[in-house]
This record gives sequence, C-alpha cells and structure tokens, in this order.
Amino acid sequence: MEETKKKKKPGTSVGVSGDVSISALGAFFVHLITGLFLAVGFWVARNKYSVDLISDPSFTLRLLWSIEFPLVVIIYSSFRKNPEKCSYSKAVGRSILGLISGAFLNVMGAIALGAPIGMQYLPKTIHWSFLMSVFTFVPATAVYGASWTDWHRVFASMKPSGNIEYMIFIPAYGAMIGGWFGAWPMPLDWERPWQEWPISVSYGAIGGYIVGQTVSLSLITFLRKHKNLKVA
Amino acid sequence: MTTAMTCTRLTIYTVAGIFLQVIGLSIFVFGFFPVKPTLSGVSDLESYRDPFCDSAPNPNESELHPEKLRLLYQELSGISSKYDRLILMVIDGLPAEFVLGKDGQPPRKAWKESMPYTQSLLANGDAIGYHAKAAPPTVTMPRLKAMVSGAIGGFLDVAFNFNTQALLDDNLLGQFFRIGWKMVMHGDETWLKLFPGLFMRHDSVSSFFVKDTVQVDRNVSRHLPNELNNDDWNLLILHYLGLDHVGHTGGRNSPLMASKLKEMDDVVRTMHLKATMDHSQDEGQTLLIIVSDHGMTESGNHGGSSYEETDSLMLFIGLGSNISDYAAATNNVAFQVDLAPTLAILFGVPIPKNNVGVLVPGTLDSLRDYEQLRALELNSWQLLRLMQAQLPSSLFGGFSCNCFLYGACEGLGSDINECFGDKEKQLICLFKNAAVLHSIWKSKKLIESSSSMEDFSRALDAYNAFLKTASEWLASKTTEKPVLLLGLGVSAILLSCVVCVTLFLSLFKEVYHEPKDRVCRGSHLLNSEDVFVLAVPLIFVISMGSSSMVEEEHYIWHFMVATFYLLLLFKTAKSFDFSKGMNILRDYKLGSIFSLLISGRLLKGWHQGGVNWTYLPDISKWLEQVGSGYVKRIQLISSFIVISLGLFTLFRTRSKRKIVCVLAFGFTTCGFLILLHAWRYQDDMFEVSTVTAKLIYLLLSISAIGAALALPWSMLNKDKCFLAEAGDCLYLIGSAYTLSWCLLQLLLQQPINSVPILLLLIQILAISGLSSKDSQVNEWVKIAALYYMGMAGHFALGNSNTLATIDVAGAFIGISSHSTILSGILMFMITYASPMLFLLSLVMHIGAYLRNHSHSTISAHRDTNLGEALKLRLGFPCLVPLCINSILLTAYTVVLLLMRNHLFVWSVFSPKYLYVCATTLCTYIGVFVVAVTPKRFIFLLFLVIHAISFLETTLIGNGTCLGDGAALIVTEPANTCRSWFCGGDAVLMVLGD
Ligand SMILES: [Zn+2]
Ligand SMILES: [Zn+2]
Repeated sequence: MEETKKKKKPGTSVGVSGDVSISALGAFFVHLITGLFLAVGFWVARNKYSVDLISDPSFTLRLLWSIEFPLVVIIYSSFRKNPEKCSYSKAVGRSILGLISGAFLNVMGAIALGAPIGMQYLPKTIHWSFLMSVFTFVPATAVYGASWTDWHRVFASMKPSGNIEYMIFIPAYGAMIGGWFGAWPMPLDWERPWQEWPISVSYGAIGGYIVGQTVSLSLITFLRKHKNLKVA
Repeated sequence: MTTAMTCTRLTIYTVAGIFLQVIGLSIFVFGFFPVKPTLSGVSDLESYRDPFCDSAPNPNESELHPEKLRLLYQELSGISSKYDRLILMVIDGLPAEFVLGKDGQPPRKAWKESMPYTQSLLANGDAIGYHAKAAPPTVTMPRLKAMVSGAIGGFLDVAFNFNTQALLDDNLLGQFFRIGWKMVMHGDETWLKLFPGLFMRHDSVSSFFVKDTVQVDRNVSRHLPNELNNDDWNLLILHYLGLDHVGHTGGRNSPLMASKLKEMDDVVRTMHLKATMDHSQDEGQTLLIIVSDHGMTESGNHGGSSYEETDSLMLFIGLGSNISDYAAATNNVAFQVDLAPTLAILFGVPIPKNNVGVLVPGTLDSLRDYEQLRALELNSWQLLRLMQAQLPSSLFGGFSCNCFLYGACEGLGSDINECFGDKEKQLICLFKNAAVLHSIWKSKKLIESSSSMEDFSRALDAYNAFLKTASEWLASKTTEKPVLLLGLGVSAILLSCVVCVTLFLSLFKEVYHEPKDRVCRGSHLLNSEDVFVLAVPLIFVISMGSSSMVEEEHYIWHFMVATFYLLLLFKTAKSFDFSKGMNILRDYKLGSIFSLLISGRLLKGWHQGGVNWTYLPDISKWLEQVGSGYVKRIQLISSFIVISLGLFTLFRTRSKRKIVCVLAFGFTTCGFLILLHAWRYQDDMFEVSTVTAKLIYLLLSISAIGAALALPWSMLNKDKCFLAEAGDCLYLIGSAYTLSWCLLQLLLQQPINSVPILLLLIQILAISGLSSKDSQVNEWVKIAALYYMGMAGHFALGNSNTLATIDVAGAFIGISSHSTILSGILMFMITYASPMLFLLSLVMHIGAYLRNHSHSTISAHRDTNLGEALKLRLGFPCLVPLCINSILLTAYTVVLLLMRNHLFVWSVFSPKYLYVCATTLCTYIGVFVVAVTPKRFIFLLFLVIHAISFLETTLIGNGTCLGDGAALIVTEPANTCRSWFCGGDAVLMVLGD
C-alpha cells in the first residue's frame, strides 16, 4: 500500500504539466463570478426572503453555501487534475464528499476554538461550516481529490505550481484567517446583534475570502509578468 | 570564556531586573492607589459655621464635658434631634433586591414570603427602604468604613481587608463617642478592629468559618433580649454574618436562604416591637436602621461592581414620615455613603470631615422646614470644605463670611442663574444659587413670619442640586496623583521589562545563532507557531485597553491557546508522510495534540467566566443542577485519576530507586486522605477535616521537598550517562512538584473544580508527550505556551478579573485558629493554582529535555563547550515566563495610567491590576522554584562528582577523562554550574568510549 503511494508520487508531479491550466484573465473571471454569486446570495436573501445574516443567520448561510457550492464545483471540476483519468462527474462526486468532510473539520476547528455548543447553535454552526467548506475544501477536492501529496504541497509546503493552485489556496487561507479575526469582536460588550456566533465570523471569513481572491489574482498577474520578463 | 553570556552574569542581570521591577511596582502601586483621605482631623464646632468665616478659636472644646458638647452641637445646628437611641442592624451581604425588589417590581415570592414582618412595615409606611449603591470593592471592611465615615475609601482597602486596622479618619462612631454615647456591638469582629476600645460591651463573631451559617447569628441573637431590655446604651450595632455565609456556600438560591431571611425578619420584629413599646412609654425615640454592607452575585460572591453586588440595602424604620404606598417605600435609590451625613444630622453631631454623601431625601421629612434647609446647608458647607481642599482658592474669590446673609458677596449678584461651564465653576454657581435662595427664604420668613411654600421648595431644590453634583464630583475625583512617583515607578517597570527582553534576546541569539547549532535547529528560524507565540503578548497589550476585553479576558486566553494547539496540529500534519507508514511517535504526538484540544475545550466550557455572560450555561452549572451527588462522584473519580496519572508519571522513568517507591507511597497516602476528605466533605466539616487537611499539607510538603533534596543523592554510582540520569532526576522532582500541587488543589478547590485540575494535569502530560527527541517545537516556544496554558487554566478554574470570584471558603481549610497570613497564602494558592502548576511543571520539562537531548546535543557539541550551551538553554524556563509577565505588567501599568479617568477605572481596571500584580508574584515564586531546583541539584552533583573523581584519581590513579573533569572542577570551582556540565560531559565521553 505504502509502496504504491510512493510510486505514484513522481507520476503525479509529472502530470502537472498535462493539466488544464488557466490564464490570468480566466482566473479573474472565476474569482469575479464566485464573488458575484456571493453577492447574489445576499441579494436573494434580502429581497426574496427579506432576511440577512443578522436576522436569520442559519437560513442566510444555507442560502449562501447552496448558491455558491454548485458554482464552485462546476468551475473547479473542469480544472481537475489528470482529466484523462478522472471524469468530470467523478470530480463532482468527490467534491460533494469534500464538502461534507471539510464541514466536519471546520466544525471541529471552530469548537476547539470555543464556538458554543448547544442545540440552538447547531443549525448555525452546521451551515457556517458548509460555507467555510465551500471556501476552503471544495475547490481543492474538486481539483486534487484525495491526493495527499498535492494537498501537502499546496497547503502545507506552500509551493504552488500554476495559477489554479494560487486560486485555491490563497482564498482558502484568507477565509480561515478572516474567520479567525472575525471572532475577535465576539467578547466585546457592545451588545450588537452581529457579535453573535457565527455572524461576525462569517463576515470575517467572507471578507478574508475576497481579500484572498484579490491577493491570488495580483500574485498571478505579478508572477506572469515576472516570468515573461525572464523569458524575454 | 568568550561567550558574552555566562551563567553567573545571566543570573545577576535577571535578579537585578526582578529587583528593579519589584521596586517600580511598589512605587507605582502606592502612588496610584490613594491611601489617605483628603482632610485630616475631625469635624467639630467649626462645621456649624460658614466655611468662609475665619475659624474662631475653640480652645476648650476637647475639655468640654461630652454632655455639654452635645448640647452645644444641638444649639449650633438649630436642629432638634428627635431620637436618642439608634439600633444599627447590619445584615452582611443582603442584596436590597431581596427586600425591595428590582426595577419597581416587588421582590421574588420566596424572598417576600420569608420576610413577612419587614414587608408589612414597608406596606404600612412605617419603614422606608433604599437601594443604597455601594462603591466597589464590595468587601465588608471598606463598606463599613464608607457607611460610618461617608468617604469612599482607597482602593487598597481591599488589600488590607484581611489585616483590619483601626479607622483613624473622622467617622460617626467617633463623633458619637465624643458626645458621650454608650455603644454596644454584637456581631462581626471587623467592628472591633475598626473601633478598638469604643464599645462598652461587645461579643464578636468571626467571619472566619465561612461554612458556619447558623452559629454566627445565634451568637449575636442570644444577646438581643438582654440588650433590648437594657437602657444603658445609645447605639446598638448588630452585625449578622450568616446571610453572607449562606451566599458564599450556596449562592442566592441556596435552600438555606429562606430560613435565614426568616431569622433576620424575626430579629427585625423583635426589635421593632420593643422599640415601639418603649416609644409609647417614655420620651426618647429609638431609630431602627437595617443596612447591608454589600450585595452578592448569583453565586453568592461579592467584591466586584456588578449591580447584584453593589445593590445594598438601607432601611429606616420609625422615621415617622408619612409614606404613601408600597412603591414609595421601596422604590428609592441612594448611595451607601449617604448614611453618614443622614445619621449625623438626625442625631445632632457634625458630619464627618471626608464625607462625600448627601442627606438621604425622605429621611428629613419629619423636621420643620427651617430645620430641613439648615440640614442641607450644613451638608453643603461640609462638602464645600472638602472641595476647598481640592480646588484653587481663586475660584472661591467672591465669597466672604456670611455674605449671603447680608447679600454682600462681591461680584456675585443675588440673582439666580443657570449654571454652565466646566464642572468646578458649575459647582460654585450651584452653591451660590442655593445660598442665595436660602437667604431669600430666611429674610422673607422674618418679615412675613409665614413662609412661602414656593421659596422653600426652590431653596430645597437648589440645595439638592448642589449636593448631588458636588457629591458626584467629589466621589469621582480621585486624589491628585503624585506625578513624580508614578513616573519613577513606570520608568523602573519599563526599564526592567527592557532588561528582561534584552536578556531573552541575547540568550536567544546565543543559543540559536551559534554556527554549530544550526544543524539542529533546522533551516528557518521562525515558523508559524514561533511568530504566534511572540504575537500573543502583543495581542494582549492591545486588548487590555478595552474594558470589556479585560472583563472577558478568559475568551482571549482560550482562543490563543486553542489557536496554538491548532498550529501544532497543522505542523504535525505537515510533517505527515504517508509513504513512511504508520509512525508510533507521530501517532503519539497526534494523540497528545488531540488531548490538548479536547481538554482545552472542556476547560473553557467548565466555567462561564467573565462579567457579561456569566448567565450562559456551562458544565459546572449543569452538574450542580443535576445534583450534588454527581459532583461528589465526579470529584472522587477525578481525584482517583489524578493520583493514578501521577503514579504513572513517577514510574514512567523506569528507575528502580527506592525513593521513587517512597514518593509513590507518600502520594498514595495523600490521595487516600483526600478521597476520604472528599467523601466526608458534605456530612460534617470542621473537626474531622482540619486534622486530615493538616496531615495532607504535611505529607505533601514532605514529599515535594524531600524529593527535591533526596533525589540527587540517589544518583551516586550509576552506570547511565550523567545527563540522562540528571534529566531523569529532574523529571522525577518535577513530577513530584506537579503531583503534590495537584493533590493540594484537589483538597483546597471546590469539589466542582476537581475535573479541571485533572484536565490541567492531562495537558501538562500531553505537552511533555510532545517533547520527543525529534522535537520540532523550539524549547522557548513550548515554555511560553505552558505559561499561556497556565493563564487559560487560571480562568478555567472559575477565576475572573473581578475580585468577586476569589474563593474565600477554601482559604480556611485546615486552619484551626485565625491567621491572616495563612489564609491569605491559601487564598493565593487557590486562585493561582493553574499558573503555578504550569510553572512547576517546567522542572519536569527541563528534566525531559535533558534526558531527550543528552545524546543529540552532545554529538553536536563534542568540540565546543557543551556546558555553556546547555546551561544557556536552561535559562529559558526562567527567562521566558519572566519576560512575558514583565511585558504584560508594563503594558498594563501604562494602560492603567492612561485609563485613570476612565469610568471603569475602579471597577474594572484596578481589580485587574491587582490580579496582574498577584500574577507577577506567582511568576516570581514559580521561577524561583524552577531556578533553584536544578541549582540545588547541581550543587549536590558537584559534590558527588568531586568525591567520585577524587576517589578515582587517588585510588585507581589512572588519568582517565574523569580526571579531566576533576581538574576542570578544581580550576574553576566558582562556576559550579559550568563545572557540573563539563564534568558530565567528561564522564559521558568516557562512557561513550
Ligand atoms: Zn460583607
Ligand atoms: Zn462575604
């Protein structure tokens, strides 16, 4: 078992070159569309159901992730690794699995950091974690599946190769760090409704996600220019 | 020696830094917290004269007969006093809510029904009750002082609460004594400490046995019939402690509360019936006042500034004023300090000099109109005198002696105008208005002889407006801070902080920048958790500026520590490589991190600490709801697990020393005794537990100290390498410390806290599980993390930054006679259980570090000076906690200075500062133990090595490397620290060959 995995490693790294790549403009559109759909989610929540994150957090979060999730799956599944070996539907299937397992990990992390436990918080926590999973885990599972080496290379060693990897890991980290910072106002006694779990954390995560997208875009354009210069 | 840092130098600098810090801190504390009141001396005949008149000499006042003085006071004041006797009943810790209700609502049914007589008095209009807001700190002694002197005492009164001293400032009781009153006191002995020799008769009970809720009050009430029949006293003080004790043991909803309230109600009935009977018989009237010194929180504690704690009661019975209905009798607010001027006026004595209270509205209704205005005038004059001491005299320029009487005040028209401008000018203006209106009313009354109601009420309102504003201004005005002292203190603290940080940095450079060492420490210097650990103090420095962050500090500590665990998890996952297969070491590590995460979360959920969200559910509340039987069972189980874990730790080193078995035996005995104590805890408390507790104290201290002293001797003649052996030894000593501290806490802490103690122990063991041979986490990071975990645990044990959460009940376990110092020490131990535990566990970590690195470090250091490097590494366990603490202390000192005019300075920032000071003390003690243990151990080892090498060189005579070690020792005998390591190195090299 271990042996096969060891053997697979060089194969996958060779496969990088054969993957679908994306231009800076494409990356821009992908980020624009995902960002727009977040805005659409908020718009629908406000105008169709007349709720927002503060008045009904669990419903709004559910709306957000159920709008965002198909879009992310559709887009990132087309950038899947080894497209010749892995069909599109398989990529979609594994990203659903990734959604659930990522949600689980996010719940665990949030609870470890002090998220309240209780029946009245349960739906909020679950929907928040699904949204977080859409931000962090779903794109990566759609592209890499369960390949530990790829995950390790992108998320732990931070040695991304190719635009698509920048597009995956920087917004994911952005969402996590943003969520972490979003928890800060919670203990303050301003008595604002948005200080409740998980509202401020969701705001932080969404903000971090968007910042991450911008950073990844600028990195992609910067690196491309750099490369072009080198080539020239 | 070429290295810049040597062992001795490091020690000297560190000690100097600490010394500087202690000096700076004490200077700052005494400069910042006002200790003295503003005016000295006592109020006398002077207080009946206009404050702008030149003081007329009263040479013979002190020689006046008390009775004559009383008449003189009465004549000068112009107020006839209706009462000649006063009964002051103090019910310790009774929240006004119990009697008067809250927000216009009547009190809860259970409370209302427990006090039928008092409620009927309120309903009939015979009594009038006030929510008397007490100033923090809501602790008995400062509150009693505030009631009798009218002054808001210095904040440090809390610190002296366990060391009560006589009240030397002007106060009511002193004034009563001067006019020859006879006073009797039964109840809390605090009164005797405040007023030694003032009481004609007294029977004091101690607030010492907090768990005694019955006998304390019985000892007071047994005197009641006799005292009520006696007529030799003027003032009878009854201070009932039982209700406070009920609160401390069971909280507001204690099942004992109803019966205690009923008991108090019976006392009120007895007194009132007797007083009214007397009233019908002869001339003198008895005024009955029921007050409480402070309230209590939901859990029955007090000390802080929440509404529940400051909501104390002031109930006047027999004022004779006509109160229309129940709402009017209960829906009044006042301040606790208002009692002093009110009583002074009602009983015809001068108002105490430093009083900031005002006459309680509604208590003077039975006086005639000119008497009422005169009373307000006297109160205003007294406050004005206090203001004069704090304001420049130029502000009072227009005033002169009795000028209002004749309408001759310079530059001050006799017209009434609106008051604007800054607070000081506004105060003067308000006073002027009141004085002018008063004189108008007086002159009209002289002419028309029938006073106009309108003028009277205008003057009354003007006086009340002035009094209210002046009282607020005086109460809020903290005394002038000595700028020089504060500056000196702050700069000394800053300097010591700089010293600590510089020492840390140079040590850091020394250890991590040595070229030889680069191999061990990996490719990059700082990684995510290093950066995070460095950022934590900064985060705290920033967050401390916000009062709510100070109140909710536990959230931040938990958040930081949990983030650290997650970073560790991330780091471990990063080094994951499936290709290497299952790795036992790695799994062990993962297990450790997960147990850290889980125990950390459980600890966070155990007590919902802080101020604003204490009502939220938490595990301890839930357990207590389920039933005390479960708590007891859980306590027994967790005590048992603590003992087994401790024994496991002791035997994990696999050393077969006899002393380990002795230690294990000692701890098992202690554990058994503690289990026994826990078992009996609820049935019967005192006689049994004191002996057991003393025995446990003795056994634990013998085990810990004995381990530290005896273990190094057992190292003699071992065929293991010296460093590993030394590491084992230190590890054993450290676990002995940790275990005895844990067992001590199991005894002292409340039963509900036994699980957190267990979890803390698990955390310590888990962290030591992380430090394996290929440890990726830097030593200093781990130490800093331990410090943070200690602080997180501090809040997990139910502590907070208000003084209310200090566990008073545990501080008397095992003490048979009253001793301030001993119970203070116990209280400190209970409060700082967790930080101290983690600091003590550092010894264990040093041991583990030595053992694990004995080979790797030496292989890297074979050609350089091993001793220096190792020893400098050992400097971290001392320096890192000191550094973090001094950064936090410095930052907090600056914050306190900046916040000195903040609304919450006395209620939030100052208590926090006291906690910071106590944490500093805790860090010093912990670091001292950590520093002394290896040193003492090194000293013994030095002797041992010396003996061995001496024997070997003389008897065997072959010049092996042992001889080198000995030679080293001989050449540099002063630096024992280094010679030990060099000796160890030498021995090791021999063994290696
Ligand atoms: Zn009290
Ligand atoms: Zn108390």
